[in-house]
Amino acid sequence: MNGMFKFRVSNAKLLRDMVAAISILVDEATFNVTPEGLGLRAMDPSRVAMVDFEWPKTVFEDFICTEPTKMCINLGELLKLIRRTVKDEDIELSMDEKTGKLQVKITGKYVRSFTMPLLEASEEEVPTPKIPFNVRAKAATDGLQGAIEEAGLVSDHVRIEADSEKLVLQAAGDIMGATITFQKGSTVLLDLEVKEPSKATFSLNYLSEIMKAASATSDIVTLEFSTDMPIRLDFHQAIGGKLAYYLAPRIESA
Amino acid sequence: MPTLFMAIAELCERLEKMTRRIPMVDIVAEFLVRLEASEIEPAVSMIQGRPLPKLSQRALNVSWATLGNIIMRITRVDWDTFLKVLSKTGDVGAATMEILNNRGVRQLSLYAKPLSIADVRKSFEAIAEAEGQGSKEKKERIIEALLSSASPLEAKYLVKIMIGEMRTGFHEGLMEHAVSKAFNVPLESVQTASMLLGDIGLVAYLAKTEGIEGILKVGFKTFRPVKLMLAQTAECVAEAIREHGGRTAFEFKLDGARVQIHKLGQEVKIYSRRLTDVTKSLPELVEAVKENMQAYEAILEGEVIAVDDNGQPMPFQHLMRRFKRVHELERTAEAVPVKLFLFDILYLNGESLINLSYYRRRQILAEVSGKLPLTEQLVTSDEGEAENFLLKAVESGHEGLMAKKLDSKYTPGIRGKHWLKIKPTLEPLDLVIVAAEYGYGRRHSWLSDYYLAARDAETGEFQVVGKTFKGLADHEITEVTSRLKELAIKEEGRRVMVLPKIVVEVAYNEIQKSQKYKCGLALRFARITRIRYDKAPEEADTIQRVRKIYERQFLWKGRFKAGEHNILTSQKGLNHE
Repeated sequence: MNGMFKFRVSNAKLLRDMVAAISILVDEATFNVTPEGLGLRAMDPSRVAMVDFEWPKTVFEDFICTEPTKMCINLGELLKLIRRTVKDEDIELSMDEKTGKLQVKITGKYVRSFTMPLLEASEEEVPTPKIPFNVRAKAATDGLQGAIEEAGLVSDHVRIEADSEKLVLQAAGDIMGATITFQKGSTVLLDLEVKEPSKATFSLNYLSEIMKAASATSDIVTLEFSTDMPIRLDFHQAIGGKLAYYLAPRIESA
Repeated sequence: MPTLFMAIAELCERLEKMTRRIPMVDIVAEFLVRLEASEIEPAVSMIQGRPLPKLSQRALNVSWATLGNIIMRITRVDWDTFLKVLSKTGDVGAATMEILNNRGVRQLSLYAKPLSIADVRKSFEAIAEAEGQGSKEKKERIIEALLSSASPLEAKYLVKIMIGEMRTGFHEGLMEHAVSKAFNVPLESVQTASMLLGDIGLVAYLAKTEGIEGILKVGFKTFRPVKLMLAQTAECVAEAIREHGGRTAFEFKLDGARVQIHKLGQEVKIYSRRLTDVTKSLPELVEAVKENMQAYEAILEGEVIAVDDNGQPMPFQHLMRRFKRVHELERTAEAVPVKLFLFDILYLNGESLINLSYYRRRQILAEVSGKLPLTEQLVTSDEGEAENFLLKAVESGHEGLMAKKLDSKYTPGIRGKHWLKIKPTLEPLDLVIVAAEYGYGRRHSWLSDYYLAARDAETGEFQVVGKTFKGLADHEITEVTSRLKELAIKEEGRRVMVLPKIVVEVAYNEIQKSQKYKCGLALRFARITRIRYDKAPEEADTIQRVRKIYERQFLWKGRFKAGEHNILTSQKGLNHE
């Protein structure tokens, strides 16, 4: 640990929801802290899904970082500490230079300060998948989340299909099935661009966890996919920055 | 270029299908030559079904049930299907491969990166290192990640290595041949180095990096445990005398734990039979060795036994309690006192003694061991004298005798005829088969693992007292299998419950107290000596009788001392190791 950092968010809920959204895939998370802001790109242990997160320093009330450094923490532990925070509380994370620990200071009606260990940072650089997407759909996060939950009632995986007119979720379980259709221009499917009709199947375990956790941070999500390729779910951040997930498909083996 | 784990999987797959040893050695040698130095020890260990270096004091601590759950999770196969495939293939690794091959839908990963040998070793280390709270989940995550990025064939061998069951038939002895061939070092030098280092993986690494010079430099070093010399079984004292050329040395065979003791100056360490460091569980022995051992530097062998208040030997299981409870040392030290008996010396003040005769080593041992007792010994050519000595051993609560050829060298790691063990057995029991399980490997389609029950004279119920897959010949197993299938009442996974009809005669070495079965007793080293076609289940031995024999064991083992040796019969027939 070389660089020093300190940053403060005036709305504790923002940080809490973001940590929760990342923690569904990774529990030991290595963040890059640079003078420009905070970022992370990490895969879950089975390398099926990836989260790509960025908060520019403008998201923060105060942001100090003297030189780029890595901050590796156990998100489950951090989440425990900040779970009870509410909207008008303020959180400051800083590195205590003497102890090399992370200090978590929460200021609301009263002030509490926690320390937690900084872990050995992962050296793995996770590249962004380069995928030629043929479908790009913009949807209301809560509407899509509801549909994913419904698909989960009958199966553990869902096929996502699109042509120029509509987006269809098709779930087939052992005994039950579901078809959910969104027409282009409806209140859920805000926009749909299709280069060629495509379909791919995904694990609902992953999808519903991602939707559930990320919907707390965002109202609009952009889906991008191609036949039997990973899907990208980009959750628009009103405050700026980025929260996107990649999820590898399930395929029928020959 | 790092070598891929796939290469090991493919090699093992070939070995599994081969039966002739020379070609097996050849392909392993060819494989070893191509590896980078840093890959050699991991590869050699993995080929033999070991995830970590042999002398590593760490272990993965992953059960096959845990692995089964992970495999079911990543393939979304249910327990029944898993068990069905398992009983068809008879092997967890092969079952994993079949399930992965047959899964209808496959979850892809974002970045498929082929596993290298180094990646796999790194994961194994991470699994072993996971400790404390949440370690089980952590282990599972690492295994899940590992298996998710593996092809079906790789997964088969990853699983086999993690549970330590290779079943390719490529044992350590053959690996020594392969290392010798791969790096052009004489076999005998490889074997000696392997014995001294205790790990053929390290020997292979040395051979690759330093060649023959490196191998020849390997010597005894205190605090680096060496492999033990092993014994075969003799039916009776007469056979031992004959085998050893008409005259041999008998020693009491103690019912305890074999230990290797290393001493350098005032430092003493004790290693178990499996070469793990057990110094902390035996503090009073460390003191005893420091006080009595005259030599500055030595490697000794002995047997530790549990004793009662009067110094009489107690059954083996009392001692095992001692090894398990490293945490409550002092309390257990009081509860289970132990005693050390020495029987060999391998190294003394910088010199190897293993090429001296047994007789000479024993003399040297007696000279340097001070007040530390040696195992009781009788050198004789007289059968009658030997019989009496065996009787005396058993009466004093010991297991039997060892016979050691007088002019034999110490040959570490080798199970030869220079050492023979002779154990009396307790009178055999006639027990009824009440359930059976399918075997593994070659026996996977046979009901070859039997639950043995005694009759409760009061209720007429059958109570399980032991389980064994030992003793029957192949044709007997197939016959029993078809009879049991007719008697089947219920199947639970691999286990088939049957009507209690088939009576078998069962030999065993001891009856222990055990929580395993409802009756609270269990036979140790049970093996079937014959099928009792002539006996009906109602004529089988009773649980009351089993209990009586259990109690009578204590006539020899500590507590009381009495002359009831009429229930001794000399051992009939079977090697049980």
